[in-house]
Amino acid sequence: MKPLMLQGHQRAITQIKYNREGDLLFSAAKDSKPNVWWSLNGERLGTFNGHGGVIWCLDVDWQSINLITGGGDSSCRLWDLETGKNIATLKSNSSVRTCNFSYSAYQAAYTTDKAMGHPCEVFVIDTRTIDETVSGQAPILKWEITDSKVTSMIWGSLDETIITGHEAGDLIQWDLRTGKKIHSVKEHTHQITDMQLSRDGTMFVTASKDHTAKLFDTNSLELLKEYKTERPVNSAALSPILDHVVLGGGQDAMEVTTTSTRQGKFDARFFHLVFEEEFGRVKGHFGPINSLAFHPDGKSYASGGEDGYVRVHNFDQSYFDYTFDYNRE
Amino acid sequence: MPVAEEFQASWADEVEIDQGVLPPPSEVVENGLKIVTEYKYDNDNKKVKIVRTYKIEKRVVSKSIAKRKTWSKFGDSASDKPGPNPATTNVAEDVFMQFITSKEESQRPDDGELDGLKPPSSNVIFKCRTCQGDHLTLYCPFKHTQIAQAKTAEAAKAAEAKVAASNKYIPPSSAGRIPGRDQPPVSREDVTAIRISNLSNFAVEADIDDLVKGFGPVHKLYLAKEKSTGHCKGFAYVHFKFRADAAKAIQSLNGHGYDHLILNVEWSKPPQNN
Repeated sequence: MKPLMLQGHQRAITQIKYNREGDLLFSAAKDSKPNVWWSLNGERLGTFNGHGGVIWCLDVDWQSINLITGGGDSSCRLWDLETGKNIATLKSNSSVRTCNFSYSAYQAAYTTDKAMGHPCEVFVIDTRTIDETVSGQAPILKWEITDSKVTSMIWGSLDETIITGHEAGDLIQWDLRTGKKIHSVKEHTHQITDMQLSRDGTMFVTASKDHTAKLFDTNSLELLKEYKTERPVNSAALSPILDHVVLGGGQDAMEVTTTSTRQGKFDARFFHLVFEEEFGRVKGHFGPINSLAFHPDGKSYASGGEDGYVRVHNFDQSYFDYTFDYNRE
Repeated sequence: MPVAEEFQASWADEVEIDQGVLPPPSEVVENGLKIVTEYKYDNDNKKVKIVRTYKIEKRVVSKSIAKRKTWSKFGDSASDKPGPNPATTNVAEDVFMQFITSKEESQRPDDGELDGLKPPSSNVIFKCRTCQGDHLTLYCPFKHTQIAQAKTAEAAKAAEAKVAASNKYIPPSSAGRIPGRDQPPVSREDVTAIRISNLSNFAVEADIDDLVKGFGPVHKLYLAKEKSTGHCKGFAYVHFKFRADAAKAIQSLNGHGYDHLILNVEWSKPPQNN
C-alpha cells in the first residue's frame, strides 16, 4: 500500500478522527491549527484558525456540521465545518484535555486539566443550537474530579453516561442525570491515553501507558480482552468490519534519544480482537504514533505520529485475504 | 551607472545567468491523467524537473458526501487550487503489512482441509517421477512445464558437482553455494525471492504464476507494470515459501525461452540502502 502523507502540522499530532461517513479526516496537533482533509485523496479542505496553543482533542458531530476542539489555551471552541469559522468559544480555567459530542450531538462534554490551582472538571454543554450565544452559556452539568485527572473520555450508550479514563488508570462511568459514579474499575496501572468505541458502541478499547490496550463492555465496564505490547500504547482503534484491533505507540518522545534505535517500535500493530494475538505490523512513522483511526468502511486507516505526519493507509488485498490461524476443532 | 551593463559578459557568466531562469510550471490534463510539471533548485543549486502524475477518478457517493465535496477551501488552504496541494499532501513510499507468521507455514487451516480431500497415500502404489505426486508420470500435470526439465538439469548438475568436488579447491567462503551465483546471506528475510527479467511487454500475472507454480508454493508475486498503460515493465519478483523451491526455479528458468524472449532469472538483490 502506498500511504498518503499529510503534512499540515508543524508539531506532533495529538488526535485524528474520521467523520461518520468517512469522507473527512480531522487532525489536531500541538500547533494551533486543526486541519480537515478529504480522506480519499489527502487533499486539505482547510484549517481552523483561532486557537492560541496546543490542541489536545477534537470531535465532529454525526452530521458533519460542527467541530469541537479543546486545547492548551484554556478554551473549547465550536466551529462551522463548511466555512471553518469559529462560532463559539468556551473559556475554562485550565487547558481542555478531552472533548466529545454525544452521538446525537444534542450535548457535548469536555474536561479540563488539574493545573494552575484549578481542579480537573467535567462540563456538559447544550449544543442543540450552535451560535454565538453558546460562548456565554452556563454548562448544563459540571462536576469536579478529585482524584487523578481525566486523560480520555467517551460517551456511553444512548448518550446517558460518560466514561472517563484517568491518569492513574481508572475507568469511571458517570450518570449524566445525577453526575454520580455508576461504575468504577481500575484495570490499568498507568495513564489511559485513548478510548475508542466499537462500531455499534457496545464495546470500547482503551490504550494505556502500562503497555497494554484493553477491551471493555460499555455498559458494565467489564474487562473483556487484553492486548499486550512492550511499549506504551498511545492509541487503539477497532476495525468496523473485521475482528481486528490496531495499536499505536512507542516510547515517549523524550526518551527516544536516550535509548538505542531498535527497529520496530513505532509500528502500527494489528491484533486479533478475540485471540489477543498480534498478526501484522505496518511501519512508517519516525516517532511514536499518537493517534489512530479506522475509516468507517474498514478499508483504510490513518495514523498520526509524534513526527507531525498523518499517514492514510489503504489496505492491500492481502490484508483482507489474511485469515487468522487457529485450531477449529 | 548604465554603462557598466553594456559590457559584453564572458561566456562563463552567461551560463550562470541562464541558470537563473526557471521554465514556468505547466499543467496538462489528458485522458484521465493530470500531469503537473514544475522546476526548482535542489539543495546543491541544481535545476530539478518535477513531474507529478495524478489520476482523475469519478466516484459515486452519497448525497451528503457529494454536497461536502462542493465546499470551498478555507483557512490556510483557502488559496489552494482544486486537487491535492503537493505542499501538504504527498504519496509516501510503498509499505507492506508484515504478517507475523510464526506457526503459519506448518499448519494452515485450509491446507488441512485439502489434505482431507486427498486419497490416503498408503493406498497409492505408484509415484510420478516428475513431481512425486500419486499419479502416473504420463499424466503428470507438470509434464510440459519446467519441473520436468529441472529434473534432468538437476541430475546433470549433480554429476558436474561431483567432478568439481574431487579436483577443485573451493574457498571456505563459497563452500556450499551454487557456483557462479551470487547469493544473499541466508539471514535476510526475503531470501526466497527471485527476480525474473527480460519478460515480454504483454506478460501478465497469470503467465508468471503458470511459469513458477510448478516449483512450489508461492508466497507473493509482483509484476512491475507501467503505471499509465498497465503493460509489463519487463521484470517480476516471485517470493517462494521455501528457499529450495526458489533455487530450483532459478536453475531451470534462467535462460529459458518464453514469449520469444530468453528469461533471466536470479536471486532478488537486497535493496540498496542509501
